[in-house]
Amino acid sequence: MIDNFSIIGKPIAMVDAAGKTTGAGKYTDDLTLPGMLIGKILHSPYPHARIKKLDASRALALPGVVAVVIGEDAPNKYGILPVGHDETALAVGKVRYVGDNVACVVAETEGIAEKAMELIDVEYEPLPAYFDPEESMKAEADLIHDEKPHNIEKDYHHVFGEPDAGFAEADEITEGRYIANEVTHAAMEPHSTLASFEIDPQTGNPGRLVVWSSTQVPYYLQHKLSIVLDMPMSQIRVIKPLVGGGFGGKSEVIPLEIIAAVAARKAKAPVKITYTREEVFWAHRGRPRTVVDLKTGVKRDGRITSVAARVVQDGGAYCSYGVVTILYSGALLGALYDIPNIRYDGYRVLTNKPACGAMRGHGTVNVRFAFESQLDELAAKIGMDPAAIRERNLLKAPTITVNGLRVQSYGLPECISQTVTRSKWRERKGKLPRGRGLGIACSHYVSGAANSIIRSDMPHSTVNIKIDRDGGVVVYTGASDIGQGSDTMVAQIVAEVLGCTLARVKVIAADTDLTPIDIGSYSSRVTFMNGNATLRAAEAVKKQIVEAAARRMQCDAGDVLMRGDCVWRKSVRGETAPDANAKSAAMEQSAPTASGRVEGQILRGSVQQKRKEEIVKDQMSFEEAVVAAIDFHGALTGTGSYAPPPEARGGKHKGAGVGPSPAYSYSAQVAEVAVDEETGEVTVLKIWAAHDCGRALNPVSVEGQVIGSVWMGLGQALQEEMVWKDGLLMNPGMLEYRSPSATESPEIECIIVESVDPEGPFGAKEASEGSLAAAIPAIANAIYDAVGVRLRESPFTPERVLAALRAKKVGAKKIDLTESVDPTNPQAFREHGGALWYRGKGPARHASDAAVAHHKGAARGNSSRDSRERPSAGGDD
Amino acid sequence: MSLPEFQLLRPRTIAEACEMLAKHADEIQIVAGGTDLIPSLRQRLFEPKFVLDIRGIAEIRGIRRGADGVEIGALTSLTAIEHSDAIAREYPVLAEAAATVASPVLRNMGTIGGNICLDTRCLWYNQSLTWRKSCGFCIKKDGDLCHVAPGGTKCWAAFSADTPPALLCLGAEIEIANANGVRRVPLDGFYTGEGEARMKLAKDELLTRVFLPARAAGWRGAYRKLRVRGSIDYPLAGIAVAYRPANGYAAEARVALTAVNPAPVLVRDAERLLSENELTREVAGAAGDIAARTAKPLTTSALTPEYRREMVRVLTKRALMEVIPSKK
Amino acid sequence: MKKVLLTLNVNGREHEFACEPNALLLDALRVDLGLTGSKRACDDSSCGACTVLLDGTPMLSCALLAASCEGQKITTVEGIAEHGSLAAIQKAYGDWGGAQCGFCTPGFMVTVHWLLEQNPNPTEEEIRHALSGNLCRCTGYTQMYQAVKAAIEAEKKGIAHTAERTDA
Repeated sequence: MIDNFSIIGKPIAMVDAAGKTTGAGKYTDDLTLPGMLIGKILHSPYPHARIKKLDASRALALPGVVAVVIGEDAPNKYGILPVGHDETALAVGKVRYVGDNVACVVAETEGIAEKAMELIDVEYEPLPAYFDPEESMKAEADLIHDEKPHNIEKDYHHVFGEPDAGFAEADEITEGRYIANEVTHAAMEPHSTLASFEIDPQTGNPGRLVVWSSTQVPYYLQHKLSIVLDMPMSQIRVIKPLVGGGFGGKSEVIPLEIIAAVAARKAKAPVKITYTREEVFWAHRGRPRTVVDLKTGVKRDGRITSVAARVVQDGGAYCSYGVVTILYSGALLGALYDIPNIRYDGYRVLTNKPACGAMRGHGTVNVRFAFESQLDELAAKIGMDPAAIRERNLLKAPTITVNGLRVQSYGLPECISQTVTRSKWRERKGKLPRGRGLGIACSHYVSGAANSIIRSDMPHSTVNIKIDRDGGVVVYTGASDIGQGSDTMVAQIVAEVLGCTLARVKVIAADTDLTPIDIGSYSSRVTFMNGNATLRAAEAVKKQIVEAAARRMQCDAGDVLMRGDCVWRKSVRGETAPDANAKSAAMEQSAPTASGRVEGQILRGSVQQKRKEEIVKDQMSFEEAVVAAIDFHGALTGTGSYAPPPEARGGKHKGAGVGPSPAYSYSAQVAEVAVDEETGEVTVLKIWAAHDCGRALNPVSVEGQVIGSVWMGLGQALQEEMVWKDGLLMNPGMLEYRSPSATESPEIECIIVESVDPEGPFGAKEASEGSLAAAIPAIANAIYDAVGVRLRESPFTPERVLAALRAKKVGAKKIDLTESVDPTNPQAFREHGGALWYRGKGPARHASDAAVAHHKGAARGNSSRDSRERPSAGGDD
Repeated sequence: MSLPEFQLLRPRTIAEACEMLAKHADEIQIVAGGTDLIPSLRQRLFEPKFVLDIRGIAEIRGIRRGADGVEIGALTSLTAIEHSDAIAREYPVLAEAAATVASPVLRNMGTIGGNICLDTRCLWYNQSLTWRKSCGFCIKKDGDLCHVAPGGTKCWAAFSADTPPALLCLGAEIEIANANGVRRVPLDGFYTGEGEARMKLAKDELLTRVFLPARAAGWRGAYRKLRVRGSIDYPLAGIAVAYRPANGYAAEARVALTAVNPAPVLVRDAERLLSENELTREVAGAAGDIAARTAKPLTTSALTPEYRREMVRVLTKRALMEVIPSKK
Repeated sequence: MKKVLLTLNVNGREHEFACEPNALLLDALRVDLGLTGSKRACDDSSCGACTVLLDGTPMLSCALLAASCEGQKITTVEGIAEHGSLAAIQKAYGDWGGAQCGFCTPGFMVTVHWLLEQNPNPTEEEIRHALSGNLCRCTGYTQMYQAVKAAIEAEKKGIAHTAERTDA
């Protein structure tokens, strides 16, 4: 493999950057079609209820309303996982969370549709609802889905090695409970879908369906639309315009995508639906609230002997990616460190809340928070440096872990040493003034899943390339650019292989009519898998060009070099491109070379051309070489595809399909924090993040992805949390959800580590997710270093930090965090008892409501506490 | 989410505006910067038949020095106040409070009048119509139940503007106009703390000007704000302190709170304590304790009431220690 | 609801069109004038993706009524580019990774354009402060600071105008 690249490894602007900075780039909601109608979805006000009656006649009577779509219009079940087909486009018979989809009004304007929504009469019969997984698992009746006993979506019980023997061997064992509260993607672009049917000229009736959607997975959308609409996939075209961020939130089929298509069919007109921000929160599919009971044993020298984890995930009302999430949580205990024995018990539980799904760092983040925190606790117990205990447990790659994960390239050792050096860990750790601290943590992630969701032997990615005699290189890829820069990655790989300028390369992406099947942008698979397919497609066309050029130059194919937009014989002209000599590398990539133009090459055939160029040359322009290849082959196209090798696909146990990846990325981070002991406020001063991405194809993009991941982890660590009260999301907006603003976002120094994976394209692995998980425990560990308190529940809000500080300090006034400490018992929410209506009565006040009880003079058992704090009774306390 | 249907009225003078207000008093909402009203209209917290856009009334925009202090037109943007040299020099507590409101772009839009008249806020109230339906509404809008104080008959939504506590510390007065003329009242006493009628502003009245008295010019002060993000957020607690310096110490002092009660409040007991005692760490702490007792935070916003009350104590103490020089 | 006739001055051009009196400026720009660069992202006027200049001052077009803006000069992200080429800040955001998914980018372009107009040489702290009203979910803001600094450098060297000169 060559190492002297012309465009790989160079920081370049994304190929779609100008559209983004000028506002000219089109996202789904920016599109309109003639005669387009607007769809608005009516959502359930109940967390769990049967729909007894739905009458849309008043809505339909409103002028400007074209149709009202209900569940029965498209009752076929779907779901992103074949084992989890539990959703319908709109509710059929039952709603399962506040915000569940009940009906969709299609009208001429948004205003009319909103008015009509208020005119739909729905009669509900409320059912008991479940908001906490431990409670939910006790359910015998009124199940969320009839076919899921005890509301357990899936549980797994894995044993690798001999965990008990491992613990027996340990010198120190720590057990603890870690809670990570629920977070969501909050991508800036709200989901949007535009659906339109084309009229079939043969039948005169609506035929093919075209859907533009904000999706990370056009192929899966095409597949699910086919199921729900009972249409062959060939009759459905899914086009992905620019997507304004995904982070996993658009990595499965979201209700509006199906509803828009069903609505377009019923309304007989193009329909666009764009979610409000509140609807985005209800669509959710974010990271579930996770309770991790973790036990780790180590030898006195720091070597880990055994790990046992019980993980319960509050999955919400539908399966979504849940089965995969709970498997990742167990599987990714492996492949970071050398752990000989693992026991894992994972429960994915249904509750009456919006479905959780895949979010950046899918499945690994919350368990990693627990693990890295506990490792820090153990290091303290045995008196070992936290960086050293991590270095003590490194894998010896290449290897296959105890749970069957194949690790080849392994840059973790360098990641640790780099962050330790850059942060001056050894000089400063333990020597900072009180209130300041350093913490270290590591994480890793898959470069795509080795087994696709839909089990088959089809390639995970296929890429086509077409080069015509104009010298333009068109790449057709199914990879979905969602802002991470996959179009740019594809263009770079093609330009590198063909030795042409970037300006020649045009990427056509994510359009199921034009681009080969690709399973989408999730689990950080795109660079590795689509990149490999691109590389192979480029090599296929290169081979044709080189062979043709060799014939023209009367030499061996092995003597032909393509570089600097030229093709030449290296035995005659050396390794450096004749035309590239004078130009800087930047100029080389900025525009196609004019000198390469061949007079008349496009309009005239090749007969005159050949005659004119019969003199044997030792160099050709890119166009000349292309024309030569077209002359001999008729058409210049190439295809490449990628399927993970069988040896990377994991073990044989139940659930072994999730976790294996052809390659893993590695990350180590050091966080420096300041903790205000009087307020509990944590300020992250800086994070050093080293990430092993195999090879940085575009360093600007890699840094952007790593910094973005660390930053998103920081949000989860310090301030982001979906707050629930009895199934009601209290903060469904950007104002109250509070992703970090520029003010409190610290400097993040990204250190790129290149381990050069043997199977990655040019050695590349993933860069977009693996760094997220380490940020949370690095901050937790830094807080411990700063003030000696261990935060075991994220986010580490000032009140949680202050409560922990006060709990530790003898004689200090305790801070009583009534909220969210015990969600199994919502009655204990002090100063709140108003929304207990779910227990049976509806949005009116219920008899068990504190307010009613108070009026009857029959206060509940815990009301003494209520009255103490109730302002009407409290006065100046 | 679209806005409810209404007719837009765009008066050019106060008189014109007052006439329109008088005519449509029961079915009109006033919009200036729009940062509070427009999101609320989206959520159907208001469905007025008329919206009175007062942005065109040039006479009440700007900062002027008058005979008895500084006059600020109600339409003056918070950015203008933040960047006014005169206010930074003579009424620093107000400059500081204005600079913490929301974010720079929102301060470009938001006006001092709008900040004074800001609607009270609560997690059970500032939600969409659909959301509010799902909890059976609340006492402040469309319902009869308070979710933060069950059994209560009073709305506890928190007054969440940053500048009013600063204005209260300075003894500011406001000018209110209606079709019959103008009246000038102290800001202290303007707020009732009652959910529905949270301020003494009749439906046909318009807040037109704010007066900062000359006697408060040169008072030193500070504003401390509790929030999760360093920008954008409403206060979860806000503490303004101001004092009249004399011979290097505080001859008079004021402490006022916001975001922890249904109205901004002056902490009178702290005032007495500070004027009667030399400022030490202990006295500042005691003033903080008094402020914390005055605060009645409920579960109206992020962070628990206990914590917010505790922060009133800490931030009051800190603000005092930072800005008031102790007698040596 | 009966529409009213409006004239808005956007990016130096007068647009006369009919729109509902309750229309937001953001919707008028996006739907009626087809200027879809300004984005709707939050619904609670907190994120800054719809930022435009109104008489030269950054404001949120989602919290302004279209009819309120008659007689004022509106500049949207579409009005930031210079003579068909990228302004320095637009080029720099591309080069330095200031834009990833790009959905918040129009708001940042308007905000930064305004910042550099007011203050051609802002400190790091001033840049951070100026950007604090616009939310981004991709970048963590770090690369934006690098982009802003690069744009300042480019402006100083006159690079931004080179393209313009070649075109002319």
